[in-house]
Amino acid sequence: MADIQLRVSDLRKTFHPGLFEADVEVLKGLSLEVRRGEIFGFLGPNGAGKTTTIKAITEIIYPDSGTITVCGHEHTSPEAKRCIGFMPENPYVYRHLTGREYLRFCGELLGLERSGMEPRISKVLDEVGMESRADRPMGAYSKGMLQRISLAQALIGEPELLVLDEPMSGLDPVGRRDVRDIILAQAGAGTTIFFSSHIIPDVEALCDRVAIVVDGTVRAVGSVSELVPQETKSYEITFTNLDLDRISTPLITHHVRSDATWVRVAAENRDALIEELGKGGARLASLNPVRINLEDLLIEHYAGGAS
Amino acid sequence: MRAIRAIAANTLREAVRDRILYLFVGFAVVMVVSTKLFGLLTVGDETRIMKDIGLAAMQFFSMLIAVMMSMLLVSREVESRTVFNILAKPVRRWQFLLGKYLGLVSIVAANLVLITVVLMAMVLIFSGQWDPMLLFAAAMTMLEMAVLAAFAILFAVLTKPILGSLMTLAVFVVGHMSEDLWLLTRQLPGAFTRGVIAVVYYLVPNLERFDFKTEVVHDLPIPMAAVGWASVSALAFVTVVLFLASLRFQSKDLK
Repeated sequence: MADIQLRVSDLRKTFHPGLFEADVEVLKGLSLEVRRGEIFGFLGPNGAGKTTTIKAITEIIYPDSGTITVCGHEHTSPEAKRCIGFMPENPYVYRHLTGREYLRFCGELLGLERSGMEPRISKVLDEVGMESRADRPMGAYSKGMLQRISLAQALIGEPELLVLDEPMSGLDPVGRRDVRDIILAQAGAGTTIFFSSHIIPDVEALCDRVAIVVDGTVRAVGSVSELVPQETKSYEITFTNLDLDRISTPLITHHVRSDATWVRVAAENRDALIEELGKGGARLASLNPVRINLEDLLIEHYAGGAS
Repeated sequence: MRAIRAIAANTLREAVRDRILYLFVGFAVVMVVSTKLFGLLTVGDETRIMKDIGLAAMQFFSMLIAVMMSMLLVSREVESRTVFNILAKPVRRWQFLLGKYLGLVSIVAANLVLITVVLMAMVLIFSGQWDPMLLFAAAMTMLEMAVLAAFAILFAVLTKPILGSLMTLAVFVVGHMSEDLWLLTRQLPGAFTRGVIAVVYYLVPNLERFDFKTEVVHDLPIPMAAVGWASVSALAFVTVVLFLASLRFQSKDLK
């Protein structure tokens, strides 16, 4: 039983689009490790190499160099493939099949025992909330239903490692919440989850650890609390009974509303401003610390990558 | 083996649920049924004309189905990326290709069985003749289609769907002109042109080898050596072409 369920080491990949087009180096020595039982978020801007990494893990593309091990096996081995449940970015399914037929087909590919197949299919359909619609052709499914069936095919083999590429993209809030609940339920059952996403609140809510990938390399790995600095960089203060032009403390930004004045001030200037407000007879309505969040951190990394 | 069977069955199921297949099969059946009409309009033995045109229609529509279905079912799987979910499971790429090939061959075989039954029924109804040799001709057409389907798979892996279909069609046409090509290599003046044609001659299977229409229509004895040679060459071509397709597909990045 490996403690590292997914290990990607120094992965490199350059695409050669054509004779008259420049080569595109997508992965530039990307490395990461996903521990058993954790929910691992894979964050990055478009073109950072997230989907390419996932395609390399699932043997849809071949890296130029680097190694990938899944559940302790070389990623191209049948043992590794049996360990993975993969859901691609878009639900690529057969429109001519019903949801149940599709899961049966996936079960056959995985070599599931025939005797246990139908109960397993029903269980998974139930888990993704598709039991009542499983006998309709998938050509008539909505995006949300396709996403659920796509998730169901990833779950059908009871994988140790779920690899999900943007599992919540294109879903409405209810669909997102449902997929989030399914991921949490799987994690609760001991499945390791590796997923890429653009949706920061989902990552913050779900992930034990996060990797930020920019320009084909991992820029930072850790839990959200480890990655996001805890110190307060600035404060947001709302007050009444004082004109803004009577304040001399430097402000980062401000907004004068009809009922109050809102300002943001650097942490080191907070006390000076409060003293000034007190002397001027202002009434303090609120004072909130502003901490850097994951989104700020990502934008910082993205900007660094772009430069 | 189970994965190959599942992929083949899924390919067959997809074709069965696709209306385009019924269009082709419908045309094929209409063509075979109308052989009676051709028999009436043409001078000669009506039954023989019926068999001749019926077997030609069988071959033509089987080829059309092989070409079109390879484009629809094999290339579409890669283009629409449904292949991603298959390859992420414990399925080797050669298993995927073999499954698609067997599915394609099953579709052509099912169509051939139907057309043969219709043709045999037509011959029985209008001439009172039960001709089991039509089954033999159908079996040889099946061998030809098995070779053509292997090329269809190779071209589906190598190139875009439309181009792949055209290339498969080209193999069918050139394959039936193989002997003419061989004669050309002896008569053309330029060594380079002769060389190019010789290369095409050796690369493209001689599909005339599978054509026993004359023997079946005119009740001539079947040269068993030719049947044996045709079967061996079909097996060899299918093996080599599918191996080449697997080799290419094995190293291909799917986008």
